[in-house]
Amino acid sequence: MLLRRFGITSTIFLLFFIGQEAFVNQLSFPAGGFSIFLILTLLWAALSTPEVAAAVGFGAGILLDLSPSTNGPLGHWTLILVLLSYAISFFSYGDENMRGNPLSLILMVTLAEVIVLVSYLVTGFLLGITATSFAQTLTTIIGSAAWTMVVTPLLLPAVAWLHDLAFDSRMRI
Amino acid sequence: MRNGGENRGRLLLVILIVSSLFLITLDLRGVNVLDGLRSGTHTALSPFQRAGNLVLTPVKNFVNDITHLGRTRNQIEDLRKQNQKLREQLISRKNQDGEIKQLKSILDLAGTARFKIVSAKVISQGSSLAFTRTITIDAGSGNGIKKNMTVISGNGLVGVVKEVFANSAIVMLATDPTFKVGVRIAGSQQIGILAGLGSSSANLQLLDNQTTIKVGDILLARGSLNAQPFVPGVPVGRVTSVSNAAGAVTQSATVKYFANFGTLGVVSVVVKAPKADPRDALAPVKPVPTPVPTVTVFVTPTPSPSASSN
Repeated sequence: MLLRRFGITSTIFLLFFIGQEAFVNQLSFPAGGFSIFLILTLLWAALSTPEVAAAVGFGAGILLDLSPSTNGPLGHWTLILVLLSYAISFFSYGDENMRGNPLSLILMVTLAEVIVLVSYLVTGFLLGITATSFAQTLTTIIGSAAWTMVVTPLLLPAVAWLHDLAFDSRMRI
Repeated sequence: MRNGGENRGRLLLVILIVSSLFLITLDLRGVNVLDGLRSGTHTALSPFQRAGNLVLTPVKNFVNDITHLGRTRNQIEDLRKQNQKLREQLISRKNQDGEIKQLKSILDLAGTARFKIVSAKVISQGSSLAFTRTITIDAGSGNGIKKNMTVISGNGLVGVVKEVFANSAIVMLATDPTFKVGVRIAGSQQIGILAGLGSSSANLQLLDNQTTIKVGDILLARGSLNAQPFVPGVPVGRVTSVSNAAGAVTQSATVKYFANFGTLGVVSVVVKAPKADPRDALAPVKPVPTPVPTVTVFVTPTPSPSASSN
């Protein structure tokens, strides 16, 4: 059972990662664009138990760290996604008002995306990665939040269905 | 039982955090295995990026046409007058023609300066969520490309090779906010430092407070030791506005890059620079206003019809 869940989850994340790198990154969206991979990770974490969310955050972080467009050291995204995925799941798991309501999920994922980007920036600064201009950073974060709010409702049904498929659960979203 | 589950969860979290910190430490200490992992991922992703580029190019061209509709209206009107069959052929070959045009202008530039170059296609644009401005090209160490080599387009400087893999490389664009290049003004040879602003413009800071700079001045790369990361003489941009702030130690100016970063399809990496500095040879010629022809009309008064009839 564990092997099946791991296999399905890994395949889904790998496909989204390739989709992000091969297609989404090719298009120049205004104000920073969005990351379907990051949205998938945060949604998956919101729908899972804290332990699964942390493990998924770890795997997703490793993939993002290995992405050619990543600037920071290996482990940078991993650390942030482990903590954020665990936190999202910790706050939402068991709360059906949160998990069962699409609007709450969308808002939570958007907020989490902003926190992830800010955390990436702050920890990157601490790790010695040169920071960009304040205006550009602000534009990217606000733009990314807006894009996430638009894209998440489109991805939510598919992600919920895939999550059900992997975990044999019957979520009512 | 519940406490046991919670403890297991916390233990897992701690293990994952420690693992992440361990990876960061290893990477910052420069362990080669991790570089190999990144390189391997990049090599594995390259075919997907190529395929994505192939699939999305028509979409990107369509969006580009829509966004530049105002500017290309005249061109579209002219095309409408042409034969329908010829127009379809032109549309289907538009992408290839654009790349050939870019490549030709690069070869012209590199030929004038006697640069030895390796040309490559842009296969991916870096995610701006990483707060950097980068592109990925389909040539790597197998083609003789090394880190810190200058990357040019037909119009001028594009950026610097940041990471090199077997069949691809990542180029930091000159628009990246962390990008800095030493430049000199063509003609006056005054020097300064140009810094990217995250857009098609950059900020120039002159090093000498006695020098003057004016709108329209052309900037060329000053060149680095052993021509890396910057080969000398590459056109960089044109001054669009000069800041004359009272009390400023040195003059600063806003510069527009010659390279069009929105339509990069083909770029070239300078793998070998000539021994002699090309100086101002690569500076684009300033546009000369077309003289308005003066027409002089000589009028000779003719005898009135009534007079001639008489």
